[in-house]
Amino acid sequence: MERRDFFKKSLAAAGAVSLAGSLEAATTGQPIDGRKVSKISFPEKRALITYSDRPPLLESPRSTFSSVLTPNDEFFVRWHMPEIPTYIDTEAFRINVSGLVNKDLSVSLKDLKADYEQVTVTAVLQCGGNSRSAFTPTAGGIQWGSGAMGNATWKGVRLRDILERAGLKKDAEWIGFNGMDNAAYYETPSFIRELHLDELDDHVIVAYEMNGEDLPYLNGYPVRLVIPGTYSDSWVKMLSKIVVTNEYQKLFFMDVAYRIPDNECECETPEKKFPKTKPITKMNVKSFIGYPTNETVVHNNSHIVVRGVAFDDGTGITGVKISTDAGKTWQDAILDNGELGRYSYRGFRHTFKPNQQGKVTIMSKAINRAGEEQPFAADVPWNHGGYKFNGIDAVTVDVI
Amino acid sequence: MKKILLLSILAVSALFAQVKEPIEVPYISYEIKMGEGFGAVQANCLTCHSFGYITNQGKQSRAFWKGKVVKMVDHFKAPITDEDSEIVTNYLSEHYGNGK
Repeated sequence: MERRDFFKKSLAAAGAVSLAGSLEAATTGQPIDGRKVSKISFPEKRALITYSDRPPLLESPRSTFSSVLTPNDEFFVRWHMPEIPTYIDTEAFRINVSGLVNKDLSVSLKDLKADYEQVTVTAVLQCGGNSRSAFTPTAGGIQWGSGAMGNATWKGVRLRDILERAGLKKDAEWIGFNGMDNAAYYETPSFIRELHLDELDDHVIVAYEMNGEDLPYLNGYPVRLVIPGTYSDSWVKMLSKIVVTNEYQKLFFMDVAYRIPDNECECETPEKKFPKTKPITKMNVKSFIGYPTNETVVHNNSHIVVRGVAFDDGTGITGVKISTDAGKTWQDAILDNGELGRYSYRGFRHTFKPNQQGKVTIMSKAINRAGEEQPFAADVPWNHGGYKFNGIDAVTVDVI
Repeated sequence: MKKILLLSILAVSALFAQVKEPIEVPYISYEIKMGEGFGAVQANCLTCHSFGYITNQGKQSRAFWKGKVVKMVDHFKAPITDEDSEIVTNYLSEHYGNGK
């Protein structure tokens, strides 16, 4: 018996070697869906899916995504450090700008609202690890479903206008951003992000308002960085410090976390990580169905209006297609008029009338101006951090 | 006139937080498996993050958990002794491992 097992094992090993050293096939599928919201709600939030209280990690349920603008109290939450200031003195709060500038600035909330041009942008905020639970073997990190994203209209001031007020010195090259959240230990590095000057355009703003209200504390009150089109890891919350330098500072959250293989497919195998990595930065094309959900029961021959959202990095969504036959045929969904701009969700809707009892799966696929479209979930390549999943969404409803 | 007055009140109040006193982040008790080494997990991990942060990483290999403990020490400067690092790694791969 033992011998036979041994024989089997060595056969398996031999087989694996012939498969270019892959011992376990890396696969992707639909992310975990339908997790229940917590019984306990967090400040200024409805009850959401709760992975952790310290630091707070909250995910929106699928039903949130039938609206184009995500309500503030349903908006996902992701912090890296356990100590979040729970009180902000709005009179005393300042954003300090220093480093390679002609004049250090100390900008109050009042200054921000009165002394600068006020601008708004509607933009999607999505965690790079959103949908991570789609990856097998399990990728490292919180096993998010697909609700680590949201879309809001942000109001604030252009970062460029603030930097211009300070006056950048000739050799200025990197801008570092730090928020007010703290680690439990003094020695722990801060969650600092650095952006190269070339990455900053007029769409990058320091926002103090979200969907016409103050930012919720857990989304970065009183101000956060908004970088439309990019994943949320650089959208620093409770932004209090901007430092201009001429040299890139080595930072854990920039150099180790939030990175993907730097190759064409952005992929690798579990056994052999690709040695060269790059930051996740720009978001890829994605759609998600808000209604119906996997728990929905509908009557045969009734009209269902499928609703959801689609987005990319601002290139521009040009269509969303719906399939109810496992992707064999596709029909165009109706897109909203796009008046919220290219960084916003485009809402889509599609009327579907089931004509047979039993389970039916509805799929959505977004396409953008560059001709990029979502792959089937199983065709999304694997990466060890479980970043950038954008597989075609699928919900299965019960027709009775 | 009334409308203008109302508008200006709104404009002023926008300078103040919706929440005027400290918020309180609720404490959630996450289920975690009991077993050998749990004491070290409680003493070393809970200072910085919840048990939810651990259990919601999914089932992972011993190498993964070891890497996480090393990351906490090297990058996050958590003062975990070598002995405790070993105990915590053993506990995690025993209870939240994938058999590898």
